Amino acid sequence: MGKKKWTWAGAVFAALLLLPTVLGEFWVLVLTEILIMGLFAVSFNMIFGYMGQLSFGHAAYYGVGAYTTGLLMVKFGLPLGPSLLASMVMAGAVALVLGYFCIRLTGIYFAILTMAFGQLIFYIIFQWYSFTGGDNGLQGIKPPPMLEGAWSYYYFALLVVTAAVAVMWVISESPFGYTMRAIRDNIQRTRFVGLNTKKYMLINFVVAAMFAGLAGGLWGPFNRSISPDLCNWHQSGVPVFMTIIGGPAGFVGPLIGSVIYTFLMAFVTGFTEYWPLTIGIIITMVVLFLPGGVWGLVERYGAALPAREGPPDDPEGGTP
Amino acid sequence: MDLSLLFAQALSGLSRGMMLFLIASGLSLIFGVMNILNFAHATLWLVGAYACYTFWFLLQTHDFAVWLAIPLAALSVGLVGWVIEVVLIRRVYDRELPEQLLLTYALVLILGDLIKITWGVDDKLIARPAMLSEPVYIAGVPIDSYFIFVIAVGFAVYLALWWFLQKTRYGHIVRAAVFSREMVSALGIPIPIIYTGVFVLGIFIAGLAGAIQGPVGSVTLGMDMAVVIQAFCVVIIGGFGSLPGTMVSSIIVGEVYAFSILFWPGGALALIFILTAIVLIVRPWGLFGTPLRA
Amino acid sequence: MRTKSLLCLAAVLAVCLTLVSGGMTQARAGEPYNLGAALAITGTGALYCQDGVDAIKLAVEEINAKGGFLGQHPIKLYIRDTHTKPDSAVRATRDLILRDKVRTVLGTYSSACAVAIKPVCLEYKVLHIPAISNSEGITLTNFSPYTYQVVPNSYMQAKAVVLGVAALAKKKGWKTFATIASDYEWGRSTQQNTVALLKQLAPDLKLIKEFWPPLGETQFTSYITAIMAQKPDFVIGSIASKDNVAWMKQAKAYGFFKKIPYPGSLISVTELILQAKTLDRGLVGLCRAPFFAHMDVPMMANFVKAFKKKYNRYPSDWAVMEYDAVYGLKQGIEKAKSIDSAKVKDALKGATIDTTRGKLYFRDIDNQLSCSSYLGVVADDPQYPFPIYHDLVEVKGPDSWRPEKEIIAARAAEKKK
Repeated sequence: MGKKKWTWAGAVFAALLLLPTVLGEFWVLVLTEILIMGLFAVSFNMIFGYMGQLSFGHAAYYGVGAYTTGLLMVKFGLPLGPSLLASMVMAGAVALVLGYFCIRLTGIYFAILTMAFGQLIFYIIFQWYSFTGGDNGLQGIKPPPMLEGAWSYYYFALLVVTAAVAVMWVISESPFGYTMRAIRDNIQRTRFVGLNTKKYMLINFVVAAMFAGLAGGLWGPFNRSISPDLCNWHQSGVPVFMTIIGGPAGFVGPLIGSVIYTFLMAFVTGFTEYWPLTIGIIITMVVLFLPGGVWGLVERYGAALPAREGPPDDPEGGTP
Repeated sequence: MDLSLLFAQALSGLSRGMMLFLIASGLSLIFGVMNILNFAHATLWLVGAYACYTFWFLLQTHDFAVWLAIPLAALSVGLVGWVIEVVLIRRVYDRELPEQLLLTYALVLILGDLIKITWGVDDKLIARPAMLSEPVYIAGVPIDSYFIFVIAVGFAVYLALWWFLQKTRYGHIVRAAVFSREMVSALGIPIPIIYTGVFVLGIFIAGLAGAIQGPVGSVTLGMDMAVVIQAFCVVIIGGFGSLPGTMVSSIIVGEVYAFSILFWPGGALALIFILTAIVLIVRPWGLFGTPLRA
Repeated sequence: MRTKSLLCLAAVLAVCLTLVSGGMTQARAGEPYNLGAALAITGTGALYCQDGVDAIKLAVEEINAKGGFLGQHPIKLYIRDTHTKPDSAVRATRDLILRDKVRTVLGTYSSACAVAIKPVCLEYKVLHIPAISNSEGITLTNFSPYTYQVVPNSYMQAKAVVLGVAALAKKKGWKTFATIASDYEWGRSTQQNTVALLKQLAPDLKLIKEFWPPLGETQFTSYITAIMAQKPDFVIGSIASKDNVAWMKQAKAYGFFKKIPYPGSLISVTELILQAKTLDRGLVGLCRAPFFAHMDVPMMANFVKAFKKKYNRYPSDWAVMEYDAVYGLKQGIEKAKSIDSAKVKDALKGATIDTTRGKLYFRDIDNQLSCSSYLGVVADDPQYPFPIYHDLVEVKGPDSWRPEKEIIAARAAEKKK
């Protein structure tokens, strides 16, 4: 089974390497967006799929990352590489403080507290004109000259995202990852075994935020500018959509979701302004008729693939 | 800071709070009974405002146009709520929280575009009834007379809901359902009917609130987005499913808003989020809620 | 595995770079001119943008009836929604440039969107004419030679208001004032410019309080009562679009305008039409491009007639400016004798163009059109089914724009950072 998985991963990576050579610039930009949003969605799923909690404020860490890279590059002239690292550190630090409170809650309360904190961060960035540029955002975030072209930035993003996703994969398959699943499935039992569940959950929360921060960091130079909208609750909805469409149970689910969501958006907005209606109907259909998302479908029909865990168990269970 | 300013702010905070209560009470009721957090609540509120415009537009030659348009709009939105419950919500009662949340979020997007298709992008203005377009003076402080009407409706809805929940048989069943669906269903009371009823009632109140909002300013696309988060905050602070809680927290949020603009211009919303976060951390079930069904 | 993929990557990169550097295009006769518009079709701003879109369509129809630009490049119009979000605006702009191959992007409602798409247009050497948003930042800093502004910017508008208000204050003996401005870029920059300029022109006036309702506020009661309790001699407001409608309607219900003068707030033709019945007569308002100020210019008279015929309504400021944007572009193309955007931008540099608002020119230093701001008293007029401005004061562009010295200083400060 292991072999098969690696073959698949290799094939996908090869395709991602070769695809841009035959695509126009627009679609290369779309591919870059898929990569960045895919990283964002996978990081979200570390909390959702593996810890069983729905974060509705994950964009806050994405935004903190975007602003860290953006501000370091524009105001302090730091190169892209160190700025990205700083983004991860900064997003992690913020998550350490806010996560300390969030992980004490579960279910709907977790969702709303993450959302309230997210809105708070959005508000700070929106209001802090002298430093963040307020709602006008931050312009002039230019990648280094050798990465300025659409293609070169794509390959750079591919490199970074692949590395980051690989690290998250290793984490999810490590004893730590299995502890997270145990917490998700039955927090009481895990606690009785003698594990400090709160500590584990906090670490997971921080790690997820760090990768969201990295995704945000990649976004600024790609988009040339950033704005507070990046941390708004609408933006927090995007990785949720991607994960539900792709399927939260599999590690690659959010990535599949990112491909579907982003491609569809690029395609649909080309001929209609009714993108919200379109994605709304798709989400409704997926929720009603395709629980488990696309990955769930693959698992059900792709007998060749190894069976994995089912969807997260009753995340509203347990008392806060 | 003189007294009349404080009084004026208290009064305007109260009217703001009542508007929030009208939106949040249905949200709280639906969550308390059905355990579904309805993201689309404010969007249905907006549908109410647009519906009010349509009815008003059809009737505008008559003096009573607005008075008739408001209940008609509320009823129509209730009907829309019924359709949504039967077609969509009913299917996800047994699902997980994220799926329920996402479904209602999808509804926000779908309804938003449907509103745009139905009513177009331009602002809709509803003329106020003549008797409510002049200010009234209370102790020398002016107040928009329309907001006296809003405050009156807010309290009326509160009393009606209280009476329904406390004094009627159906109300008792609904309250019992908040604590234990299993027990209610074991008594032979069909849960689905209660759910449908509660959902439609909640949406009806949202529609009523929207219709009342209509003549306040202009009715525009995207108005719901500014409101939905504030309504969530109110429900969290008051406690899901608690009617008095929702009332008290609505007033708190309204007053916090009214006074913060004096001392921290631009920080009003931030204060409300901070308040919400503190309540969630210290007392997740809210000021008046019960920690039973977390 | 790793060395292999790295090699692969390098090879792929090489291939790509050669492919990209290959294509430079030359315009052929009969080749359509792809024109893009990135506007807010939904969300805040849809109200203004609808008019803008209609005016662009009208201009395109008129020009195409004569064979298109230069008589041989029929215009194909592509419209994209920015959702009034900078990120979406960038996406829409890239989409317009790369997929629809537009040579000019007209836009945008929000200033945040305008400054976000400015560098993208520069990167792809595509003309950018933001014909609704007017934050000064669009042309002041991060200057792009591809961006031309046909709207009186926030500084010019503030200057116009200040000139008017200072005169009024002197006449009426006003001493104190308060401000209320929407808490976002446009509201902030307008408020700051107004307060700073007022300090220069009328140093005795005292600002007693600032109010900052968030963008999208639906209920202004708390602001209204707070302002009224402060009892300022007058209030200056910077609130736009639907927020402005809500604010005006509620303030009126408090009897606000009867008690406190509210001079120089943005009351565009959209508001004049929309609130025809309820707007307080006698208010001193500000607008950017009212058609009725220039009915003596044949181009404006024709435009109003055509617009009215096609859409059965009068054009708002936003329609006028988008229309001027298209015709400004046309004249640039004619002057350059080419549809190549790099050449058109050079032709437009410092150019004088015919607009519905008369003959105007682009200032060299920032590509700002020398357009006027308009102040007037809201009053009924027998000619129109809605009130218009009487005692109209036209503050000319060159009398109101920021001195070049200050622009140079601002750009130098920006470089230092």
